[in-house]
Amino acid sequence: MNIENTQSQMRKGILEFCILSIIRRGEAYPSDIVEEMKAANLHILEGTLYPLLTRLKNADMLTYRWVESNSGPPRKYFSLTAKGLDFYKELEATWNELANAVNALAHRTKEMGGPAN
Amino acid sequence: MKKIININFHGRVIPIEETAYEILKQYVESLRVYFAKEEGKDEIINDIESRFAELFSERLKKDATCITDEDVNAIIVSMGRPEDFEQDEFAQSGAAEPRTSQTGQQSASSEPTESRRLFRSENDKILGGVCGGLANYLRIDPAIVRILFALISFGGFGAGVLIYIIMWIAVPSRNLATNIRKRLYRNPETKVIAGVASGLAAYFHIAVWIPRLLFALPLILGIITSIFRNTWFGFDPGPVFITGGFGGTLFITYVILWIVLPEAQSASEKLEMRGEKVDLESIKNTIKGDLDGFKGRAKEMGDEIRDRAQQFGAEVKKASQQFATEAGPAVRRGSSGFAHAIGVLFKAFFLFIAGIIVFALIMALISLLFSGVGFLPFRYYLLSGFWQNLLAWLVLLLFICIPILGVITWLVRRIMGVRSRSNYLGIIFGGLWTIGLISLVIFVATMVNNFRTRASVEDDLPLAQPLGNTLVVREALGKISYEGSDWFGINWGHDAPFFGLNQDSVMMSTVRINVVRSLDSSYHLRRVRFSRGGDPNYAKMLAGQIQFEPLQHDSILSLPQGFAITPGQKWRNQQVLVIVDIPVGKRIYIDRSVDDYQWFDINLNERRRGWNMDWNQNQDYSWSSGVMYVMTEDGLKSLDRNNRENEEDQPQTRSDNRYRYQAPADSGKSRPSGRPEKLKRQPAESKPAVPKKQADSTAPPSASRRMEIDPVESYGSPIYILSA
Repeated sequence: MNIENTQSQMRKGILEFCILSIIRRGEAYPSDIVEEMKAANLHILEGTLYPLLTRLKNADMLTYRWVESNSGPPRKYFSLTAKGLDFYKELEATWNELANAVNALAHRTKEMGGPAN
Repeated sequence: MKKIININFHGRVIPIEETAYEILKQYVESLRVYFAKEEGKDEIINDIESRFAELFSERLKKDATCITDEDVNAIIVSMGRPEDFEQDEFAQSGAAEPRTSQTGQQSASSEPTESRRLFRSENDKILGGVCGGLANYLRIDPAIVRILFALISFGGFGAGVLIYIIMWIAVPSRNLATNIRKRLYRNPETKVIAGVASGLAAYFHIAVWIPRLLFALPLILGIITSIFRNTWFGFDPGPVFITGGFGGTLFITYVILWIVLPEAQSASEKLEMRGEKVDLESIKNTIKGDLDGFKGRAKEMGDEIRDRAQQFGAEVKKASQQFATEAGPAVRRGSSGFAHAIGVLFKAFFLFIAGIIVFALIMALISLLFSGVGFLPFRYYLLSGFWQNLLAWLVLLLFICIPILGVITWLVRRIMGVRSRSNYLGIIFGGLWTIGLISLVIFVATMVNNFRTRASVEDDLPLAQPLGNTLVVREALGKISYEGSDWFGINWGHDAPFFGLNQDSVMMSTVRINVVRSLDSSYHLRRVRFSRGGDPNYAKMLAGQIQFEPLQHDSILSLPQGFAITPGQKWRNQQVLVIVDIPVGKRIYIDRSVDDYQWFDINLNERRRGWNMDWNQNQDYSWSSGVMYVMTEDGLKSLDRNNRENEEDQPQTRSDNRYRYQAPADSGKSRPSGRPEKLKRQPAESKPAVPKKQADSTAPPSASRRMEIDPVESYGSPIYILSA
């Protein structure tokens, strides 16, 4: 078993949720999203982000608007739609359940039968 | 020191190092491959590029003069390479729901267990995408399906069309991705006409000139052999199937392939064309190879202004091609549309017509060449003076040979795929040909000058009155023939105004006989000799040099077969006109042997507007050979009861003679005996009956004693053969 594979699988599972969390707080621009995630110690490549954002947009979870800028081409600013907000809330509930379950399993070492680890 | 190019990147002009640009291009290409199956891939790639552009702008604002390799690489690192995306990406099965429900995408290669349905292809279509979809379902090259459909349509009386329309209506369409590793494309890199041969070469990994030659050779061979087949009757190189039919089939095959096969433009398509694995490495190498090749060619071209202009044009072409590939698949696939098929048909048709025109011109020149060479034996007689000879050779070589050489050279070069880098050859050929053209004009002018005036010398020749009442005119017996004078194996004796030719002399037979009514009651003979020349005196002198002496034995006038012309005299259309005056009541019989004379004249119309050639062969005369005439007040009257002279046109073959003479022998014409005396006593009376004096003892003694050679006496006899 490859440790990196498993690790990336774990990351992949929560990526959408993290991105939606960031955007929920306010309109965000892809570069900003990457910065925030880096600040939260969750590193993601920009090249991963763009396809994801596009997929979410195609699924009507996100919407965007163009903002002109002096120092470059126009930028896309993403925001959550109503559908996206519902989706986010469900994910949040799932995350909480998951987090509790995993924490409980991982820290409960003595209550099962068998040799202690 | 690196070369900088300016690119128009998302609305901004960015100066970027050439190598950095190359890296950027590779990266974008790799993205395109990675996202090939993604529904919103254009948008994604656009976003990524936009990000690049923004970062470029920031860099430039910070006092950098241009974008360097390091900049591009740094941005790529932060953006992430496609292989790194795999780490972060969603697992295919996990988050596939939002995708498949919205886009209904079909990615056959990653989900082989999914049951396949037949769709029409949205992106690989010429008419309706039926063949593209079918090929995708069967996992074969669409070109095969298209060709099969075309064959079925043509061969099955349109059955293929019906099937196609049914499928077009019934089968839904989807955006289908390529799922075969190797398919046949047209290769635009080394194309001569449409890149069909190059594409075939790339697919089969053979040299480019092999398929090109295969296409071109039967066609060319067929054309050439068909020419020869028509000129030399004994020439037969083999069954027409190989050269004739095959060449035509291959031409049609080429046009079909031109329509059906798409052009390989993007790097991934080029890799598909060769059947190489389409991954990032190979894409990188392909783009690199393109750029290197372009640079190499640019270096070879040198510093001439014209070459720089060519370079510029090529760069523009390359840039626009790159733009086309990067701007989106819509532009690329535009070449597969129905309009493309129509466009190809038009292009092929025009190419075909142009080819035929050029070909006809070349054939005309070649035939001129052969005829020019054929006239070589005549040059002693036609050309006078050093200048004329020189001009004639110049015309032959430069005017006629050079275009032929030029076209052959161009053909060979195109087939071999050699690119000519300089126009030297073209300029040299063009210049020589112009010299040839000028020579031709001068040459024709001088030749015409030599024939300008016409003079004649008229003589009265002594003629003893025939003791009978008929004069027989014929050609002298004993044909003179020249050993080894047949020209290209054809005996020109009967068809040309000359019948012998060698270096010392040519025997002309441009003789004509006119029969007129005599002003007194005796026969007369006159001879007029004509000639042309540059000035009247010279013409007259030439006319006087003609040797033509008739001989007379009693009532037979033997004319020489012709007259000889020496190279010193030159041929200037010398002619001899023999005028025979017949008194009223007398007869004349002109033997068929004079049909050997071929009159030839060029004269201007009455209104001096044009000139016509006078090749008459006794057709316009008032008399026909082989017929007995009597001169009356109104002119010649035929004594032939059968009116054979009406149906008797110029007898082309001598073998008819004997057969013709049988007719009057068999048809029962009344032949009253004792008439012959009457004939002599009443000369004005025209007799309906042809007198047959076969061994008639009552015939006048002097005439009958010549029975064996006197044509009149033995008229109608089967023994009578005058000419061989």
